[in-house]
Amino acid sequence: MSITFIEIERQKNWRIAFFFLILLFFYFLSILAISLILWEVPEDKIAWFQRGIGVSIVAIIGAIVHFYFLTYEAVNTIRRTLGAKEPDPEDQLHKRLINIIEEIQIASGNKQKITGVVIPSLSMNALSALDYSGNALIAITEGLLSRLSREQTEAVIAHEAYHILSGDCREYTIAVSLLGLPSSFLEKMAAYGGKRIWSSPFYLLAFILLKLSLLLNIFISREREYRADAGAVRITRNPLALAQVLYLLSRNWRGTGLIGNGLEGLCLVNPQISELDESEGLKANLFSTHPPLQKRIQILLAMAHSSISELQKKTISEEKPLLSESPLLQENWDQVSDYLCPKCFSPLFRQSYEKTRIFRCQACGGTLVESDKLIRIIARRDNNWSERLKFLARQTLKENQINYIVKKTKKEEKNIPPLLCPKCKNKMARTFYSYVYLVMIDRCYICKVTWFDPKELELLQCMIDNSMGGDYSEVAEKLAE
Amino acid sequence: MFSLIVTLIVVVMVLWIILTYNRLVSLRNQVQNAWKQIDVQLKRRHDLIPNLVATVKGAMEFEQDTLEKVINARAKAVSAVGVADRAAAENMLTQALGKLFAVMENYPQLKSNENIIQLQEEITSTENRIGFARQLYNDLIANYCILQEVFPNNLLLTFFSGFKKEPYFEIEAGARATPQVDLSLRRK
Repeated sequence: MSITFIEIERQKNWRIAFFFLILLFFYFLSILAISLILWEVPEDKIAWFQRGIGVSIVAIIGAIVHFYFLTYEAVNTIRRTLGAKEPDPEDQLHKRLINIIEEIQIASGNKQKITGVVIPSLSMNALSALDYSGNALIAITEGLLSRLSREQTEAVIAHEAYHILSGDCREYTIAVSLLGLPSSFLEKMAAYGGKRIWSSPFYLLAFILLKLSLLLNIFISREREYRADAGAVRITRNPLALAQVLYLLSRNWRGTGLIGNGLEGLCLVNPQISELDESEGLKANLFSTHPPLQKRIQILLAMAHSSISELQKKTISEEKPLLSESPLLQENWDQVSDYLCPKCFSPLFRQSYEKTRIFRCQACGGTLVESDKLIRIIARRDNNWSERLKFLARQTLKENQINYIVKKTKKEEKNIPPLLCPKCKNKMARTFYSYVYLVMIDRCYICKVTWFDPKELELLQCMIDNSMGGDYSEVAEKLAE
Repeated sequence: MFSLIVTLIVVVMVLWIILTYNRLVSLRNQVQNAWKQIDVQLKRRHDLIPNLVATVKGAMEFEQDTLEKVINARAKAVSAVGVADRAAAENMLTQALGKLFAVMENYPQLKSNENIIQLQEEITSTENRIGFARQLYNDLIANYCILQEVFPNNLLLTFFSGFKKEPYFEIEAGARATPQVDLSLRRK
């Protein structure tokens, strides 16, 4: 019996050695190719032999240096790729995350320092990573953090912490930084670069890396997800909370397209929704990283003596809880900030909104939001919008849809002087929030802040919460007139 | 030949005694450390409670009884000595706090007060930490007791004093009742 809950798995060093060999092989081939291009091709066997030794030495040095960064810097690289940020202690939900991670560390006897970070995204997922310098990372998206209760967040963190404490995510972390990260980087570049990039040698490289990163999945046992689920239950003693989370995830966006192709093995559930994941058998066991969600939920429900129909019944009758505080309640006003409202030039006040902090002008009611907080505000869909606001949102959307189409077709430009950013005093760009949710906003791309005119933030939230975008039917009628 | 075997046996015996003794000492220290961890968290809880009471006092005039129970339970918990007594006092405090939180549900203005939300979060977190620290402590105690009680070790311990069986940090029957689970996915 081990001292704490954690059964340390035997390290599978041969897999790591295998990664090193891949790396070495890659370096050897590329350096050999470079040497053949730069210098003349050797004539006799002895010259070939000398060339071979020279190339091998350089390749070994290159591979060792690369491998060092792979194994000791993997976690930081992954963190940078995800754009994850430290939780903000002023934010109530982030503070809760900080607390939960500390709690889980106590459960493990403070043996491993775990860093918790938040990914600014509306998708719902969480992942863990661990490398040889002892950096451990648990990342959770704003979308997931905002929609879970405390017990559910505990369950997610415990699941990810089990991966770290048992060490079973270490080899995969290293594999990801060897193959997954470059391939997902190239994939993203291709997505932004349009068609041109696919005709370049990058395409070939991306293609090969993508195929190789598929091979990674062979190394990943699907069993480890079951084990981490069981481990989480052992820590939190609450199988239902985890089952609820998995059920919620099965019905929501898990980050497809956002979390790159190489990283899925680290995640709580696979961001790519694939049929393979939900099936069983040899092929699925070989190539899929995650076991069927349904089976995971069933196992957890069996532990809780509950059934899937019960879970579904309760979930469908789910109500959106009311936020009892009004966003404009006087006692929530906070201190005056250094910034001035770009419209009426009265000072902006820092105040609490949707459990995070924004700047609001008391005079005109406009709002300044930092980009990372905007994601949080939108993710936290706990406002019960009034009928009036819903009506307003629909009207605004319709009007802007017409304006947008008219502008597109007639190429008319209205000249409205741009606002100046309250932070850096540069001109802000006037755009729509997105082409689905047409709300006019002013954005400063230097300080990454967004200015909302009065009620516009609420309108945007209301539109997104009620999925109002995308309906162009009335607009089409109007245009036909 | 015979003397060689005897020497060998003696050497093995001495090695075994040293190893067992060191393992016991190491575990004893781990147990003490785990207890300190619980202590830190208990202290944290005791420090948080006066803040909570002060914040809710004004709004909850009609619940003086509940508040007083919390204050008394805290006073008892602070002054309790020894593992068993402290465990009992802390259980009383947990129950009193649970009652207070339940009563607070009836006061919407309290539920929306940011200060109270934060305090409640801190207290919940501290209670979880106490729980986890207790799990760790009890696991260590179990190992420590097993090591003392298994066959050759219990003979050995007649020669060494300084190792005694430490008590578990136990939960009372009331607190052990099955927790209520909310199946709906609503935020709390």
